[in-house]
Order: sequence, then C-alpha cells, then structure tokens
Amino acid sequence: MALFKKFTNRIPYESDESVSSDAESLDSDEELQNAFAAGKLKSGFVIEAAPKKQLIKNTTGLRQKLDEMKQDLAWIERLDMINDSTQLPKSMVDEDNESGDADVHNDFKREMKFYRQAQAAVLEALPRLQKLGLKTKRPEDYFAEMAKSDDHMKRVREKLLEKTLGMERSEKAKKLRDLRKYGKQVQKEVLQKRQKEKRDMLEAVKKYRKGQKDKLDFLNNDDFEENDKKNKKVQKGGKGGKPGVNRKRVYKNAKFGFGGQKKRSKMNTKDSVNNVSQYGKNFSKIRSSKKGMKNKRPGKSRRQNTKSRK
Amino acid sequence: MAKRKHENKDEDESPKKSKEDIVLPPVINSNEPVQRQKKWINKQRILVLSSRGIGYRSRHLMLDLRSLLPHSKPESKMDNKDKLFVINEMCEMKNCNKCIYFEGKKKMDLYMWLSNVPRGPSAKFLVENVHTMSELKMTGNCLKASRPLLSFSKEFEQEEHWQLLKELFTQIFSVPNHHPKSQPFFDHVFNFSIVDNRIWFRNYQILEEDASLAEIGPRFVLNPIRIFEGSFGGPTLYINPSYTSPNEHRRILRRSLAAKYLMKVESKKGHESRKPTNSSYDLDPTDDFFTVTPEDVG
Repeated sequence: MALFKKFTNRIPYESDESVSSDAESLDSDEELQNAFAAGKLKSGFVIEAAPKKQLIKNTTGLRQKLDEMKQDLAWIERLDMINDSTQLPKSMVDEDNESGDADVHNDFKREMKFYRQAQAAVLEALPRLQKLGLKTKRPEDYFAEMAKSDDHMKRVREKLLEKTLGMERSEKAKKLRDLRKYGKQVQKEVLQKRQKEKRDMLEAVKKYRKGQKDKLDFLNNDDFEENDKKNKKVQKGGKGGKPGVNRKRVYKNAKFGFGGQKKRSKMNTKDSVNNVSQYGKNFSKIRSSKKGMKNKRPGKSRRQNTKSRK
Repeated sequence: MAKRKHENKDEDESPKKSKEDIVLPPVINSNEPVQRQKKWINKQRILVLSSRGIGYRSRHLMLDLRSLLPHSKPESKMDNKDKLFVINEMCEMKNCNKCIYFEGKKKMDLYMWLSNVPRGPSAKFLVENVHTMSELKMTGNCLKASRPLLSFSKEFEQEEHWQLLKELFTQIFSVPNHHPKSQPFFDHVFNFSIVDNRIWFRNYQILEEDASLAEIGPRFVLNPIRIFEGSFGGPTLYINPSYTSPNEHRRILRRSLAAKYLMKVESKKGHESRKPTNSSYDLDPTDDFFTVTPEDVG
C-alpha cells in the first residue's frame, strides 16, 4: 500500500483495464485503498495513465480534401484496385478461425494474407488490361534494365541453391543416424540370441550328464546351427570373391616372418650380388629423374607468386 | 524551363490529335519537330529526398523507391535545421507535384512524409520493419520502370482518412501511363493492406498469368501519425489515436524495468518493518524468578 501512496502522490495512476471506467474517481488515497480492498487493484498491474491525447478527426475536411484531390482519369492511368484476398484453401481456413489479432504476430499467416490480396489484384487486373488490348506478359526476347541486377539475381539463386543443398544434406545425415541406430539394435538382439542359445545348450548338456535326457538331439541341432555360423563367417570374410583371406595377417607374416629363419635375411647373397638387372643403360637418367620426382614442391618465390595470382 | 514548356504544349495538343500510339519512322530529319507520345496525361512527378542522418537501411529503402518509380526525381539530403515547407519550394523548382520525404531521427527512427505539393494534403508516417530490395530472401525481379498494379485492401474504403490516404498512395505510387521512362508490360504489384491500424507495403512480381507471385521488395510498415490539410503543414485533419512515438515506447519499457526494481526495494522494506523484534511467543515474567546468577550469590 505504501507503494501506491508514493506513486499516487506524484502522478495519477490507474489500473490497466478493470477500473478504467471509474478512473477519475480514483484520485484520492482513500478511494484507492477501497479499490484495493475490494480486489479491483492488483499490485503488479499498475500502469501510468497516459496523458489524454487530443483527438482530431475532421471528417468533413477529409472528404473535402479528397474531392479536391481526386483525378478524373481512366483506370488505365492509375491502375488502382480494392481487393479482398482470394479464397484460402480449406486446410488453412480452419486455423484462421482464431481471433484476427493473433494473425498480426503470426508472420506466415499475415504474409499469406498479403499474398492472397496481391493474387486477387492480379486476377482482376490482367483480364481487364487484356480487354483494353494491352500486352501484359513480357516476351522472352525483350531486354530492358531490371530492378535487380543480374549479379544480384545470381547471388539470390546461389543462396537458394545453398539452402536446398543444406536441407538435403541434413536429411541424409538424419537418415544415416537412424540407420545406425537400427543397426545397433539388431546387433544387440543377435548377441542376446546367441547367448541364449549357448545357455540352453549348456543346460541341455548338464541334463544329459545327469541322465535326465537320453537323446542327443540337441547336439545335432546345434551342429547344424554352428555350420550355419561358419558359413556366414566365410561369407563375411569373402568380400570380392576371396573367401577368408585376412590381408593384414598376410602382410604381417611377410614382414615379420612366420616360422622359418629370421636372421641373416637382409644380408647379401650370391644371387643378390649377381643381379644387375636394375642397372641398365639409362640408370643415371632414372636416378636423376627420381631426384626430380622427389622434389615436387616448387620454390618459395614461385609459390608466393602463384598465391598472389589467385 | 524549356523542357517544361514542351510538355505543356503536349498536353494542349493531346485532345486534338488521334489517340493512337505514335511509332517513330526509322529516319527522321533533324529539322522536323520531335514527335512525342501524346497520351501521357497523368503527369505526376515525385520528389524523393531525405533528411541528413538517416541510417543505411533507410537510405537503401529510399534508393529502392527511386529505382522503382521512374517518375521520381532525386534531390540531395536536406539539413535538419531547415523548415519543412522549404521542400515545397524545392518541389516547385524541380517541377514536382508530389513528394516523398524521409526524415531520420536519432539514427534509429524513420519517418515518412507523403505530400501533394502545392495544396496538400500531406501525411506523416512512422516507418517500421524496413526490408530493402537487396535482401537475398526476396527472390523476385521486375523491369525497372514497368508500371505497377496497385492493390488496396478493403479497409481503405471504410473510413475517410483511409480513403484520403488511398488517393495519395495511388497518385504517388502509380507510374503514369505512357511515361517516357516507363516500360509497356505489367509484371509487378504494389500491395497496400491495413492490419493492426498500420499500412503494410509489399511488392510482388507476377511470375505467371495464373497469379503466382514472388516477392521483390522492399517491404515496410507505415504507422500513420497525422494528416495535414496543407503540404508539410497546415491545420490537422486527423490524428491517429493509437500511435505512440518510438521515444515514448522506449521510455515505457525503461520505466517498467525501473518499476520492477522499485517494487523489490519496497517489498524488502515492508518485510523489514513487519519482522518481529522480540521473540515470537509471550514470556511469563515469573519464569525467571528462581534463576540465580553467580554474581547475585556473591
């Protein structure tokens, strides 16, 4: 309450809406307090009363000015129209039933309204112009200065393209992510299934040992399954028609040896000394060319030159 | 001035001669008087200028309007100190009968004056939400000097001040028929609609005859402030009651923030004053009767 007093001493305050009808009676503190007690005022809702504006609307003056200003010209000289927006498709109308005030702050709806209005104008004007015998459409071979330069339009197109590409890319990434998720789930299921099979098998073996079961049917079953797995493994390894070759292993075997003697493997032997096949006629040339090949990077000055040229 | 004389002559001759378009012959003698299009009746010329100290966005908007309106004439920026009715004289000198004047305040707020020059009326608007033609999201394009179709929403018919503004807009924004700089095709629409007591301007390109459109720009919102009877002055015909100046708006925002702080301080004070100083329950004075301190004994 102390707050109210403080404010009311300075400037007349009134509540937002609820009390605005009897705003003028709220001058004294006592009445303010009464209003507060009655629950008409809330502490957060106090807004300074705007100084009353002088309202002018001189309708006769406006009309007179309009008459004075009006031109007696054919429509073709002015091209003005009053349009209501064209009919919206049914899917949009349902949403539009909400209050009109919300549309102002809904960008899409508002712009759609403007677009519809312009469409209505076009649909009205073009037939009218054609009736007057005027050309409306620009022929393909008519060139004149445009409002936006070609350079600008190129940039616009690039931007559009970039946008669509970005959308596509993100869509692709999304799909990949989903696929990966799905794959993981499948793998998990497979692992669980295998473990379950193993458990069942062990249990069956146990039962057989104890003599609860006489038959060894389950083994057959499992054999069959194991065979299946092996087959699958072979298929997995055999990409490109080479079944089960582990290239890494082959390479490592060659490098580090796998069995056999390792020592003295780098020493010269009789054969290697006698082998002069690589020293032909053009040996020196080859070497020099090799040297040339080695230094592919041009010199610093040349590099800088090329850079500056770009 | 010589130019002006020529044009006047055209106007005089136009009703006498046939109304067909004049096609110039391929070879013309230099002695012959220059033939002109006779049908150019609606002679509107618009002076488009601004005050000093408008922001870059507003300047671009002004340039866009200049490029879209072939019947406009440029003028250098006006000093803020000059009185507004100086513009009337400028228009007279430039032979213009309409004017669009951009007034920048504080490098933030943009006001637009539209005026019918010698005799009024004129209107002052606050320009909000400016997007220029050079923004890349506006994908349309049109001939630089083709004549726009003007589309007004239904609200423009309803009240007197809207009617007057509609007339003003039509006379300023419609490119005159057969204007020497204008192009013969119709490929864009100026769209004026009233939403939320403001006038929203849009410029669309007509892509196809079945009325598919693409926005060209610029786009802006005009919040009417006042309509005057004269050009840049005179008695007021209309004041927009729902208009708050941007300064006021900012002040209210700041005020509301300050009020929040004041409330907090006030509530703290109140809490302090209401806080009980002694313990919260009543004490019986006889409780202490038998408590004895060592000093009492000694």
